[in-house]
Amino acid sequence: MNVLPINALSSLIHLAQATPAAKSFDPIAITNQLLNGVGIIGILLLTGLGLSITFGVMRIINLAHGEFIMLGAYTSFVLQSNFKMDLLLTIPFSFLFTAFIGAIVELTIVRRLYGRAVETLLATWGLSIVLQGVVKLIFTAQLKYVKAPPYIRGNWTPFEIGGQAIEISYYRLFIIFMALLLLGITAFLLYGTKLGREVRAVTQNRDMAKCLGVNTSLVDMMTFAYGCGLAGVAGTVISSLKSVAPPMGQDYLVDAWMTVVTGGVDKLIGVLAGAVLIGESNAAIAYLINDPTARVIVLAAVIVLIRYRPEGLFTVQKRS
Amino acid sequence: MAEVVGRIRQANYVPKRWLATSLVLLVIFAIFPFVAGEFQTNLMAKLLLFGTLGVSLDLVWGFTGILSFAHGVFFTLGGYAMAYYLKLNLSATANNYGGTLPDFMVWNGLKELPWFIAPLQFFPVAVIAMVVLPAGFAYLIGSFIFRSKVSGVYITVITLAISSALTTFFVSQQAYTGGTNGITDVSTLVLFGASIPPIGIYFIILTFAALVMAGSWWLTQSNFGLILRSIKENEQRISYLGYDVANFKIFIWTLSAGIAGIAGGLFVPLNKFISPVYLGVAFGTQIVIWVAVGGRGTLFGPILAAILLGQIQNSVDRVTQDWQLIVGVLLVIVVLFLPDGLISLLPKKFLSKKSNQLTRSE
Repeated sequence: MNVLPINALSSLIHLAQATPAAKSFDPIAITNQLLNGVGIIGILLLTGLGLSITFGVMRIINLAHGEFIMLGAYTSFVLQSNFKMDLLLTIPFSFLFTAFIGAIVELTIVRRLYGRAVETLLATWGLSIVLQGVVKLIFTAQLKYVKAPPYIRGNWTPFEIGGQAIEISYYRLFIIFMALLLLGITAFLLYGTKLGREVRAVTQNRDMAKCLGVNTSLVDMMTFAYGCGLAGVAGTVISSLKSVAPPMGQDYLVDAWMTVVTGGVDKLIGVLAGAVLIGESNAAIAYLINDPTARVIVLAAVIVLIRYRPEGLFTVQKRS
Repeated sequence: MAEVVGRIRQANYVPKRWLATSLVLLVIFAIFPFVAGEFQTNLMAKLLLFGTLGVSLDLVWGFTGILSFAHGVFFTLGGYAMAYYLKLNLSATANNYGGTLPDFMVWNGLKELPWFIAPLQFFPVAVIAMVVLPAGFAYLIGSFIFRSKVSGVYITVITLAISSALTTFFVSQQAYTGGTNGITDVSTLVLFGASIPPIGIYFIILTFAALVMAGSWWLTQSNFGLILRSIKENEQRISYLGYDVANFKIFIWTLSAGIAGIAGGLFVPLNKFISPVYLGVAFGTQIVIWVAVGGRGTLFGPILAAILLGQIQNSVDRVTQDWQLIVGVLLVIVVLFLPDGLISLLPKKFLSKKSNQLTRSE
């Protein structure tokens, strides 16, 4: 397994040294690594879902997406430290709070910039700096910690043999469960309700939708708020994985973007596909080589993908 | 069809007002280090470099319409080329760690200088690498992405990915790049046997900035610049006129990366270190902010913004740690209410050059 085609590059990218011990073909280690990938998929799906609403449905380049994740995490932190609330119970609150902030942002900033992608991008970047700054003012830059509820701690071990075990932490399972649940709810809202029909109508033909009596500006606000709310939920769920700090959203921003762009933005299923693809290939390459190289290779692959299929992998070609 | 555009030439004279203003500014900047202290001189040199970096981004963004978050990458590539040179020369003369290897390589267990870094110990090689490395990298990326149907926002997402990937790469290759710390403790720049004092670096940077400004001015008001601006306005129409849009984009993209690389190279003797921080998305957006706040499509805008923001930051930092918050608010305000940047606040008659940009020469 050690001799990979990558070795041609190894004089430049000294790969071998940082590799984890397991190198020979080891089904247990491989399974564990693939399960690790499932954890990454959960995070990518959670963080990408909100973007697939704001970018996929509304075509808004929201660079403040990471900060909405951060806001969700801080909501949970505040509720937990002040009211000793269970992490799961804080989810609706962080959804409502970030959705509320999202609605305000839509009303004051995004609304003025529809149809001007670059301006939106700049404004939301400015917004992301402002949100980080405000949170830093209130909570200081100190790292905060959110506790996971006791019943989803520990590892699930479905299989064990000779001291080696296939295991995945319950929390990762919880993340992927939440991600799929939210994906299901979003799909239902978009494709199964009157509101969702209106949202899609506005996406396809704003003027016509307006003529047919759809309150487009209300739909815009609701959609953006919903996307931000999803980011908030993602923040809550992620908050207990690492520490909570003002710049934390930045870590997720680029990855969330790559997920959404890879899968394609026309169908919700694209996010799932993007997350699975990026998550598992990341885990697989990380197993064969190492983590940073995996990230570099995956990002390079995404660039190549955008180059040849900017509309994403899972999009039906449309006539414009 | 080419003749039609060829006939529409810009007024081919240097507007006296602008020439005079530029000269006055140049004189002010030349006197500046003798009036201000060493700290201010260094700060101003840094801000001039950042401003020039902004101008290089402005060439591709403000004039051609390609928004890039990857200019920090080109800047840093040039910076690393120069940093290796300075570091290797320091290691060759005064080395506390034994051997001629830079300290971070010794710490990471390298026994000898890697072959791809070794040539950088020679000054000419380092100077060439400082331009060719970023420009070549930009050329590769440019020819890959501009010859496709990818446009607008997706190019911006690609530049985000490039910046993120390279940051990860440079941080992970600790033995070769110094990891998160980057290359620190570099020697002072020595030219023709003489060590260059800070004020000398200031004047090198001032010359560089002035040359870039003059060159960019010449380029943007030439026919070539006219085509660039038309690409920004309506890419499809200019390609119907028989121009190969991709070639123009690749050229200006590569040129701008080269300028950014030189800026990075000059940054290292001034700043004394380079690190992956400058590769990251945050620094990339900082450059975008200078251009956006100063005024896209203007040459003085980015420099003005870099100097203004830098000086304000310098004085505000003593009072508050929340400078970034102010920048964020400023950016939002500029985007919403001042789409042409701070420079559009200058009196209108000062900008009257715009009105006779397009005049028929016949």
